Amino acid sequence: MIENKKYWKGIAQLNDDPVVKKLEENEFVDKLPIDKLFEENDLSTGNTSRRDFLKFLGFTTAAASLAACEAPINKVIPYVNKPEEIVPGVANYYASTIYDGHDFASVLVKTREGRPIKIESNNTCANARVQSSVLSLYDSSRLRSPMISKVESNWDSVDKDIIKKLDEIKENGGKIAILTSTIISPTIYNLIDNFKNKYGNVVHVQKDSVSSDGILDANLDYFGIRKIPTYNFEKAEIIVSFGADFLGNFPGNTDYAKQYVEGRNPKNKKMSKHYQVESNLTLTGSNADHRIQIKPSEQAGLLSQLYRYITKKSTTIDSRISTIGKSLLESNSSIVLCNSNNKEVQLIVNAINDYLKNYDRTISIRNHTNLQQGNDQDLQNLIYEMQAGQIDALITYNINPSYILPDSDNFNKAMSNVGLTISTSKYMDETSINMDYICPDSHNLESWGDFVPYNGVCTLMQPTINPLFNTRQFQDSLLKWSQNSISYNDYLKDTYKNDWENKLHDGYFDVELEKVPLKQVKNKDLLIKNFPIKKNSNNIEFCVSEKISLGDGSQANNPWLQELPDPLSRATWDNYLTISEITAKELGLRNWNVSNGALNGDIVDLTLGDVTINNVPVMIQPGQAIGTVSMAIGYGRTNAGKCGNGVGLNVYPLINGGEVVIEKVEGVHEFAATQLHHTMMGRNIVKETTLDEYIKNPASGNDHDKFLTHEGKKRANEVSLWNKHDHETGHHWNLSIDLTACIGCASCVISCHAENNVPVVGKEEIRKSRDMHWLRIDRYFSSDMTKEVAKDQNASAIDMYSKMEDPSVNPEVVFQPVMCMHCNNAPCETVCPVAATTHSAEGLNHMTYNRCVGTRYCLNNCPYKVRRFNWFQYSDNDAFDFNMNDDYGKMVLNPDVVVRSRGVMEKCTMCLHKIQELKLTAKREGRKIKDEEAQTVCASACETNALVFGDVNDKNHTVHKLRKDERSYDLLDHLNVAPSVFYQTKIRNKS
Amino acid sequence: MAVINKNILTEIISRSFFIVFLLISVVTHSQSVTETSSIEEGKNLFESQGCKGCHSLGTIRKTGPGLYGVFERWDNDEAKLIRYIQNPADPEFGIVAMPAHPLPDNQIRSILMYINSYEPPVVSAEDNVVMEKTEDESLSYELILLIATVVLILLILLLTSVKNSLKESVSENTETIFQTIRRLVTVNPNKLILGFILLIFVLRIVYDTLMGVGVVEKYEPAQPIQFSHKVHAGDNQIDCNYCHTSARHSKTASIPSANLCMNCHTYINEGPISGTKEIQKIYDAVGFDPETRTYIDGYEQKPIEWIRVHQLPDLAYFNHSQHVSVANLECQQCHGNVQEKGLGAVATSEELNQIEFNIKDGVKFDHPTLTMGWCIDCHRQKTVDMENNDYYMEMHSKLIEKHGKEAFSVETIGGLECGKCHY
Repeated sequence: MIENKKYWKGIAQLNDDPVVKKLEENEFVDKLPIDKLFEENDLSTGNTSRRDFLKFLGFTTAAASLAACEAPINKVIPYVNKPEEIVPGVANYYASTIYDGHDFASVLVKTREGRPIKIESNNTCANARVQSSVLSLYDSSRLRSPMISKVESNWDSVDKDIIKKLDEIKENGGKIAILTSTIISPTIYNLIDNFKNKYGNVVHVQKDSVSSDGILDANLDYFGIRKIPTYNFEKAEIIVSFGADFLGNFPGNTDYAKQYVEGRNPKNKKMSKHYQVESNLTLTGSNADHRIQIKPSEQAGLLSQLYRYITKKSTTIDSRISTIGKSLLESNSSIVLCNSNNKEVQLIVNAINDYLKNYDRTISIRNHTNLQQGNDQDLQNLIYEMQAGQIDALITYNINPSYILPDSDNFNKAMSNVGLTISTSKYMDETSINMDYICPDSHNLESWGDFVPYNGVCTLMQPTINPLFNTRQFQDSLLKWSQNSISYNDYLKDTYKNDWENKLHDGYFDVELEKVPLKQVKNKDLLIKNFPIKKNSNNIEFCVSEKISLGDGSQANNPWLQELPDPLSRATWDNYLTISEITAKELGLRNWNVSNGALNGDIVDLTLGDVTINNVPVMIQPGQAIGTVSMAIGYGRTNAGKCGNGVGLNVYPLINGGEVVIEKVEGVHEFAATQLHHTMMGRNIVKETTLDEYIKNPASGNDHDKFLTHEGKKRANEVSLWNKHDHETGHHWNLSIDLTACIGCASCVISCHAENNVPVVGKEEIRKSRDMHWLRIDRYFSSDMTKEVAKDQNASAIDMYSKMEDPSVNPEVVFQPVMCMHCNNAPCETVCPVAATTHSAEGLNHMTYNRCVGTRYCLNNCPYKVRRFNWFQYSDNDAFDFNMNDDYGKMVLNPDVVVRSRGVMEKCTMCLHKIQELKLTAKREGRKIKDEEAQTVCASACETNALVFGDVNDKNHTVHKLRKDERSYDLLDHLNVAPSVFYQTKIRNKS
Repeated sequence: MAVINKNILTEIISRSFFIVFLLISVVTHSQSVTETSSIEEGKNLFESQGCKGCHSLGTIRKTGPGLYGVFERWDNDEAKLIRYIQNPADPEFGIVAMPAHPLPDNQIRSILMYINSYEPPVVSAEDNVVMEKTEDESLSYELILLIATVVLILLILLLTSVKNSLKESVSENTETIFQTIRRLVTVNPNKLILGFILLIFVLRIVYDTLMGVGVVEKYEPAQPIQFSHKVHAGDNQIDCNYCHTSARHSKTASIPSANLCMNCHTYINEGPISGTKEIQKIYDAVGFDPETRTYIDGYEQKPIEWIRVHQLPDLAYFNHSQHVSVANLECQQCHGNVQEKGLGAVATSEELNQIEFNIKDGVKFDHPTLTMGWCIDCHRQKTVDMENNDYYMEMHSKLIEKHGKEAFSVETIGGLECGKCHY
């Protein structure tokens, strides 16, 4: 019976459906349509199914990978004549100088096989822009040959033309103008003098992109010398800055950050107290102990009042600055400085410093800086003369007036009246495009030069590579046009012939101090004007700011700088109108996050006087004073090159600031910010305390989370499940980060970028949170809501946490550099399915790119989110048309570090290649590694010594002592991942 | 029926193996050197006469050159060689003399026999073919296999015909070889076994192919100049580091620049193998006139475009100085007996296993050269000389304390960690 029983699969089978019968006979009813695929020319209309497509795809991939197994035939081409100093594979270092009219640094240039690949500081701070300038060397947008009327030419015909025309001008008694940025080179002054002697009627005008006329003219009146003094922040007990961003952008600030931090070492039980009185949040302001928000128009009045209070001429003082007044009077030494470009205001500052006897103690006008000497009046006169047709020839150097001048149209019109216009710009920039002859200057790294940045110090610049293009440095051009046959190199050698080799080797040397005959003004009080404090109006005031990334915009075509997140807004590839939340609400302006987390903002039209800038994106910036807005210069270039063109908006037309009208317009702006949250949400990420507390208890603020166990409360590392690695026998590399010393300047970020071939991904990718920075500097604002406040107010948890998201109106700011923590109980290592990330005996977390299959499991498991995934092939990819997609740009790549390909995870290696190199050198020389010899590039780039790297097993090493310090703590130590990177609590000098 | 046939088949196979075995042993036996009593005498003389003080039997250079292959170097002219040993100062030879050894001819002949009898440890016939790049008289492995196959087929044919004639005599149905195979295959259990064997065979081929990917042993590309390492490093005993200057200082050993070649070739414009033809190419690169021995003014120099032999992928970091200057390895330990070769070539790990230094260091490679396994083989086996380097001092004492032994391999100090070579 059982055998006879029949089951049907369906009603169709029971009914003997022919389809079922056919299916029973033949499982695959239709043949695979391979023949059809090949018949059809157009795949979209063909019969090919998705499955077939995948089959072919699979086949071709397999075939391609099999074909790729064949090793390619590579050539290896040795030198014909090997230069004596080059050993292939070993870096050479040269001392040189970077100066572009805005930034100055004495540097060491690392070269490999004759290519400069990295800039390191040589006894002065090399900021992010200076470090990035090595990439600007390989900018393929640079001009490649001299040009006559925008047609490529050669030097002989250009020189012949120019000399002929200059001679004609001389014969006709015409006037020649040389317009430059501030020149700090003695030999260039000599060359200009020679040029003057040759052609007679020559005028030399200097102009800085951000004018310092106010302070210069004030010093001229007060001391009889038109120079900016140098400050010694280490010696000052009280630092009061009215808007001056001396840690970010301030003339002569190469050493200020270092001094500032040295004066704030809590170990000495003494820290300088820093007050910042400003409207937009600057890098300096974010480091201040007390920050007072004012409107730009109130500055003069407050300073005036402070002056009268200190000199006891009056006892009334604005409540906002009363503590400043008191502490200035009580202090032994102080510094007062101001960013105002108004002579009268700067005179008040001088008078305050003078009264407080700060000159020759904390401020030195004798050891003044030569940086920034531009004179706006000279330029104005030049433009008048040009308009009147009195100038017959104009030569520009290191300056882009059509971009940096507020009334650039006026300048362009005036320039059209000049018979002979010669640009020496490296780029076909906004000015050069309107000029007759372009005689491109060589890059700093291709040139010779001398500089006297400070009175008494001279630095030399030497080329580290032959000019990449057919360019010639300005000095040589001047010599040629002065019809002098000597080369500038010989000229320079001749000038510094004593001990030339040693001077060149060191890069800097002392020169005789220029004697400054200081004018003694008899009744200085007569110089001081009295400014009333303006009544608070409802008008919105505008002032420009300067980013640490782009600065004045001359390096706008540098993708590293464009992608460097602003330390405060954390936005990249953009400038925007920063506004306080309260003002934004009044104007109905919003920032909001879209579904993938990216930040969007409203757009406004900004009108100042008769200038309107349309479609300005608005960014709500905690710390921006109420009723003020601010925007960074350096953006909105039109002739910078492929990366810099059209990024952001040009606000040079508004550089003088004033009251603005803001009008909301239709549209949405998409920001690309690398950090989307503002506060720590009550967590112990950055631990901080005050100096007073620290003196009482060095471990104050450094509380560790404890867990309840059956043996009572214990720290996470006491109840570990992990087996310990053996880190005792060899080295154990540790990195200490002092949050008190970190000022957030980001030169470590660029240094890391340059050293480790970190790709640039562009705005769109950053918006998708796919930034590749191995090292980021997290910024947190304080919030008015804390757990204590919530307890007092009886606020619910939801209420508390939602309010914690909002930063204070005038927040305290902390910066925290975060890179791979090289955990010794690494969460990433345990989850990698292919063991591509492993632990080393030296306490480092290794990442093996060639082993990685890209599951991104490690990234998910990393509590610090420091791993970066290569979503695309960033090199040789037209979709990412930055330096790695450019034959010139690739020359900056470090040959000791792999260029990662698509689909692999990458992260900070703690400069493993440098460690290995150092160990090898020590082994080769048969010696131990010396103290402080091991360096990561972030640590060596850190001028404030916030980052200290070394072998924690070496009992004499600073990092060993720092590990034991009461201030040191592990980030997220409740996770017990045992990081090799640790932090020192931030200490503020607050009372 | 089937049972009988199976028996026959196994017998055929076993017999044919025996024959092949015999054949191979005859071939190899014919290779071995005929021993005579004077080798023993030669050995005694070699040690007593002080030859050993200056010469090694292998390729290692002591005070004098290694004696391996000395006959080839003297063009197999035994009489001349004997004269040289007796009186090296004779103007006939014109090369730097060693002390005279005025021994009777027969004794020197014994020494030469002893020298000749020396074989570098376990050198197989196959390796000699590779190393010498000359046709050896011995049969190659492939040839033996071919002969064996032919013999086997002949045997099968023979036995089939015997079987068929036997069957005919008992008037059973005869069958051809193909019919036999077909019958065997159609029987079910055999099909399975056959399928299994076939599968293993295919898997093995796939595995071998995949393991061979990226293996570049014996890679010896043609080069723009027919350079001979044998002439330079072998015959003229030029130190490797003289030309590959940066091997001691840098990660790359570096291909010598043409101006380095000119240090010698300013004077030497004719070589022993290719005369002036190849050396002229250096002159073409640097712009040198060998007639006047001057550099040509304003000559546009042309770099020599060599083909890279050892190709290290971008993902791996290797440093020559680490191995040459710190570990004090000899070049031959990774590159083989370069001084006996012509152009640059990738050595095989079999060849490297014969290198005396490797034997001395106790390093035996199991993986093909230039693969990661090959690196690891050495890092596992090679002992780090920690005693003579202050860098290791502290580490060494800690390691001794921890492990209770003195010698540590590269592995113990992290030589197998990924990040040491991949970053």
